[in-house]
Amino acid sequence: MANLIAELEREISGAKSDVLKRTVGVIREIGDGVARVEGLGDVMLNEMLDLGHGITGLALSLDETEVGVIILGDYTVLSEGDEVRGTGKLLQVPVGKGLLGRVVNTLGEPIDGKGPIASDAAYPVEKLAPGIMRRRPISQPVQTGIMAIDAMIPIGRGQRELIIGDRSTGKTTICIDTIISQARLNREAEMSGDTSYRPLFSIYVAIGQKQSTIARLIAVLEESGALPYTIVVASPAADSATSQYLAPFAGAAMGEWFMDHGMDALIVYDDLSKHAVAYRQVSLVLKRPSGREAYPGDVFYLHSRLLERAARVGEQFGGGSLTALPIIETQSGDVSAYIPTNVISITDGQIFLDTDLFHQGTRPAISVGISVSRVGSAAQLKAMKQVAGRLKGELAQFRELAAFAQFGSDLDAATQAKIDRGRRIIELFNQPQHDPIPVEVQVVALWMVQNGHLDAVHVEKVKDYQIRLTEFLTSSKAPLLAAIGREKALNDAVTAELQTAAAQFAALAG
Amino acid sequence: MLTAKQQQRQARQLFRLCLVNGVVDERRVRQIVHRGVAGGRSGSLGVMARFLRLVKIDRSRRAATVESAVPLPPALRAQLTAMLGQRYGEGTATTFTEDPALIAGVRIRVGSDVYDGSVAGRLADLEARF
Repeated sequence: MANLIAELEREISGAKSDVLKRTVGVIREIGDGVARVEGLGDVMLNEMLDLGHGITGLALSLDETEVGVIILGDYTVLSEGDEVRGTGKLLQVPVGKGLLGRVVNTLGEPIDGKGPIASDAAYPVEKLAPGIMRRRPISQPVQTGIMAIDAMIPIGRGQRELIIGDRSTGKTTICIDTIISQARLNREAEMSGDTSYRPLFSIYVAIGQKQSTIARLIAVLEESGALPYTIVVASPAADSATSQYLAPFAGAAMGEWFMDHGMDALIVYDDLSKHAVAYRQVSLVLKRPSGREAYPGDVFYLHSRLLERAARVGEQFGGGSLTALPIIETQSGDVSAYIPTNVISITDGQIFLDTDLFHQGTRPAISVGISVSRVGSAAQLKAMKQVAGRLKGELAQFRELAAFAQFGSDLDAATQAKIDRGRRIIELFNQPQHDPIPVEVQVVALWMVQNGHLDAVHVEKVKDYQIRLTEFLTSSKAPLLAAIGREKALNDAVTAELQTAAAQFAALAG
Repeated sequence: MLTAKQQQRQARQLFRLCLVNGVVDERRVRQIVHRGVAGGRSGSLGVMARFLRLVKIDRSRRAATVESAVPLPPALRAQLTAMLGQRYGEGTATTFTEDPALIAGVRIRVGSDVYDGSVAGRLADLEARF
C-alpha cells in the first residue's frame, strides 16, 4: 500500500501541466466581410482564426503590422476592438465517403437538413497539387454518355476539360448528364458485382448561383438516382464573396481524398467566371492592387493552382484520379476575354457550346470546330476509336460542303453522299438532356452510320430509327453489347455479329 | 503634399532611427516628434501620426502583463520578469495585475502571445471542446 501511494505521489509530482501558447489580436477595421487585425504575431498564411461568436476567419494577407482576415459567416455581429485568436490550424473541411449524397456549404457543414455528417477525416482546403513523380498519363475514360463528346472529344480520368459557352447554352446540363451517367455505371457495376470497374464519384461545386437553380439541380440528381454518388458543395449568390472564393478549393479537397485513397472522382466547378468575380471582390476590399479588368494579379494562379489539383496518380500512390470539369461563361461568344483565355490555357482542352447551334436545334450545342480534348483520346475505348476516328474530319468536310451546296443544286454523287452522311451523323448526335447513352450503344449506332446502314433512312427519321435501334439492342442483343464492352474493340467476331444484328434489324424494320 | 505611401516610408525611416540595439530610445522619439510638429512642413503631421502608430505597436509588442488571481510574492515576480526578459529580449516592460476572475493560476500576455495557465482559461477551453 505504501508502495502504491509513493508511486502515485511520484507520478503526480512528475506530471507537468503544459501551458499552451496562443496568439491573439484585436480587430482594427471591419467591413465587407474583411477585417484588418492588429497583433497575431505568429499567424500562418491561411490559418483559421477564431473571431468569437462561433465565427471563423482566414488569415489571407500578412502585412508588416497587421493581418488581412476574410470572415466566413455573419460579420455584422463583430465590431472593432474584438479579440481574435489564432487556432494554429489551416482551414480544413471534412472529407470521406460520408459526404456522398449530401449538400454542404464551403466549410463542409450540411445544409440539406439530413443531420450531421459522419466523417472522421479532414483535409486542408489549400493543398499543393501532386508533383511530377506522382503523376501518370491518362489511360482510363470518363464515359459522359453524351455521344458527341464520347466520340469526338473524349475525356479521360484525371483530365481537366473546360466547358465554355454563353449563358443558357447547356453547359451545366453536360456536367449533370455526365454525373448521371457515372451514377448509372457505378450502380450497374454494383448490381452485377463487377469488381474490375472503378466507380467514379462526383462532386458538384455551385459558385454564386441562384438558390432556385441549385435546388432544381439537386432535384434532378435525386430523381435520376445520382445523388447517392454525388457531393454537392453549394455557395449560392447569397453567400459572402469569401465563401464563394473558397468553395471550389473545399470541393477539390473532398475530391483529393478519393484520389489519395485509390479511388476516382469527378469534380464540376460551376462556374469559374463567378469565382473570379468573387475573388476580385475579396482582393479589392483587401486593398490589393488590381490589374486588367480590375482582377488582381494572381487571378491566373488562383485558377491554375485549383485545376492543377486534378491528376491521375501512379499505381504506387494508389492509382486514384481527380477529373475536373470547370465551366466558364462567355459574353456573346467572346473566348478571347481575360478569364476564358486564362482557363483555356490551363486546361487540357475545351468543349465550346455555341448559341447559334443551340437555337438551330443542335443539343448539346457543341461547336466541333473549336472543341478539342488534348489528352482524352489516349483513354478512348478502342472500339469507339475504330468507328469515330475520322468523324471530326468528316464533319468539318461536311460543314464546308454544306455551305457550298447552298449556292447550287448540281452536285456530283460523291459530294451529295458526303453531305447526306454528315446530316445523319449530326442528327445522331442530337440527344435529349438527362438521358446518357451507354458507350456500347453509341459504338453500334456509329458503326451503323459508318457502314451505310442509315443511308436509306430519311434524315427526319434518323432519331426515330436510333430510338428503335437502342430498344432492339437492349432487348434482344444484350450479349453483343456485352461483347463490345468486354473486348473493348471491334474484332472480326464482333464485326460479324454486328452485321447479322444489322440485317435482323433491317428485316424487322421492313 | 506627400502621398500616403511616402508618409509611411518616412515614418518607417524615422522609427528605424529611434532604435538603439533593437530597443526604442525614448529621448530620440521625443526629439523627433518635437521637431516634426514644430517644423510645420506640409504632410509632417501625417508622417508623425504614422510614426506614432509604429511606436505604439512596438510598445504593445514589448509590453508584458502578468495577471494572477492573488498578488504574487516579490521573489516570483522577479523570477518572471527575468524569464520574460530572457525570452522576449531587452526592453520588455512587465506589469503585474490581479484579477480574481481567473480563480487560480496566471495568465501572461506579451504582445500578441498569450500563455494561459489560469483555471478560468482551462475551464473556457473545456467548454469550447464540448
